[in-house]
Amino acid sequence: MPSAARTPRSFSTMLERWITALHTEDAGLEEPAATRDRLKDRFPKNATRRMSQLGLLVGTALEPLQPGYDDALIYASAYAETRALEGYLDSFPNPSPTLFQTSIHPSAVQQSLITSQRPIRQFLPLTGGVHLPAQALLTAFLAGSPRVILCGGEERGTWLLDHGRSSDRTFAFALTLASEPVTGSLARVTLDFSDESPHASCDFPLPVFFDHLHNRRPVDACVLPGRRLRIEWTP
Amino acid sequence: MSVTGPAIHIAASGALTAFGDEASTLAALLAGRSALRLLPVHGSEGGDLVPLALCEGHAYEETVLPSWLPHIRKLAAQIPGDLPWGTARYPVFVTSSNFGVGHLHAFRRRGDPAHLAYGTPFDCVDQLVTALGWGPDVTTLSHACVSAHLGLLQASRVLAAGLADSALVFSFDFISPFVAGGFHALKILNADLPAPYQDRATGAIGLGDGAAFAVLTRDRGDFAIAAQCLHNEMHHFTANQADGAGFSACLANLPDTGRRLWIKGHGTGTLNAGRLEATALAHRFPGAPLVSWKGALGHTLGSCGLVELALAIGAMRAGRAPGVIGASAPGFTDTVAFNSIDLAAFDGVVCTSNAFGGAHAALLLHHA
Amino acid sequence: MSDPLLLKLKILIVETLRLEDVTPADIPDDEPLIGGGLSLDSIDALELVVRLEKEFGVKIASSEESKAALANVSGLASYLRKHADPSRLPAA
Repeated sequence: MPSAARTPRSFSTMLERWITALHTEDAGLEEPAATRDRLKDRFPKNATRRMSQLGLLVGTALEPLQPGYDDALIYASAYAETRALEGYLDSFPNPSPTLFQTSIHPSAVQQSLITSQRPIRQFLPLTGGVHLPAQALLTAFLAGSPRVILCGGEERGTWLLDHGRSSDRTFAFALTLASEPVTGSLARVTLDFSDESPHASCDFPLPVFFDHLHNRRPVDACVLPGRRLRIEWTP
Repeated sequence: MSVTGPAIHIAASGALTAFGDEASTLAALLAGRSALRLLPVHGSEGGDLVPLALCEGHAYEETVLPSWLPHIRKLAAQIPGDLPWGTARYPVFVTSSNFGVGHLHAFRRRGDPAHLAYGTPFDCVDQLVTALGWGPDVTTLSHACVSAHLGLLQASRVLAAGLADSALVFSFDFISPFVAGGFHALKILNADLPAPYQDRATGAIGLGDGAAFAVLTRDRGDFAIAAQCLHNEMHHFTANQADGAGFSACLANLPDTGRRLWIKGHGTGTLNAGRLEATALAHRFPGAPLVSWKGALGHTLGSCGLVELALAIGAMRAGRAPGVIGASAPGFTDTVAFNSIDLAAFDGVVCTSNAFGGAHAALLLHHA
Repeated sequence: MSDPLLLKLKILIVETLRLEDVTPADIPDDEPLIGGGLSLDSIDALELVVRLEKEFGVKIASSEESKAALANVSGLASYLRKHADPSRLPAA
């Protein structure tokens, strides 16, 4: 085990961005068929027959932001394509190529961008557990594009949920981040790197992050030992 | 414009394949050997024979105590120094496409809930973090076969921003019936052996176990990543734009350096993508010899970018790069190198990877 | 539509690919399946292959072979008549 006793140098810095647009979709316990019925008219005819519930919701959240080629797109999901994964596993011994393809992270974003034929230079999909928003935000902050889109979500599973390996709710979000505030900015977001709480647990998983976004609740939380997130919403 | 800023150094790297460690792998590749063996795609449940390259002792159908974990430990033991990986100044970037998904397949077929501890990506990474004694500052990136490039890119950015002193990128992908069954259903994993960049009538891939690491710093190490580029076509899940524009768009962002370059390509053995890739590379880097080692190692999926980078570094240290194994002339272009390359006259390498959805990644590496 | 194999294939296409607002009668015999009016792509073709292999006992080994077999519905019927277990084909 590497030595944890190495004396850390004192270090402190803060990164700052502004949320300039935000769209959230909270489907709760809605079944995929109901989501498809509700949202299919937002997509080209016949495009939704292979889209997953997560793909439909992420696509719906992304569409108003009109991702452009020079945007950086960061995507975060802990469980990703749960239903496609369940379906693919259950298709053996005749594995379904469609479900295999759909189950591969980051399919949800690709489903809508391929439907709309939107190339993008930088696309960085992440996965993770209780520190996923912390890492996704840092990835977004360092992306270096004039506009950065951070999106994510989860879909509720069936037998994977029964075994505690799926989200128990379905949701998606997409927001844009800018390096400078603009008129109409929705919130100021800071990531504060310091030596405080180096040994705290700092759990801040994706559903908690989503709830703060969806309800426009302020955040002042340790999201990773040594990293504090603050979101201050514009009144 | 390249997507990264200043050059980042590689202080250490290592790889693990079905041939063993980096040195063993390079020796085998230089000898023209292939690690691919024809095995039933569904393991003990039979099915068509497909070419797979498994690490010795890795059970294709996952066992409750993962048989890939000892390989990970052995690789991690090669990471030099005694740094507190996973703490704020020493972050870890884990990349994989499959993580422990083979355990979900095993659970669904055999019902043993002990598999679930490794089944989701973050459960799998948490197990790894515990096994290797890392701290919590672990970023997990997953984008199919360009995953490793994204890990290198994000680690580079964290270093360039002054947020870390060193960064560890750690990639792994171990093959199971889950992923082999999927590629077999896509009809690109079949009884044919892969022949990357060979101009022939049918295409085929092989799959292989792979893992690798790289320690990145701002200023230490004898190799430097001078540029990293990405492009995502978002044209189709399994097909590229027919004119190869996606490959060209990524490569266009690599700077002209005046260096004499060789190319470690993606080259899985598929026909259309292989042809487009070889053509785009030959156009962007005229005369640069092109190799792919997936004809010997199999496609190591999410780990391929880092496995093959580590091997490229080893080749540059040794002065000789293995050629394309499993293939013979004619190639898609006359730059395809079927024989090993004397690297004495070369001072840099372009490493590329491509993935589903028309994802492309490339980096330029040279001696620091 | 007098050929029961053609009808069976068209029903199978609609069901397997979950085509909405498309009936078997809407699928022409000789129009390209992939890239034609149904907007099917290579992944749809592979999904069909899985169903065809299960239904008719054929074995399509490569993506190149699947492209050739699935050129259009008539071509697919000819392929099956040549390669499938005759007992699994509908009686003419």
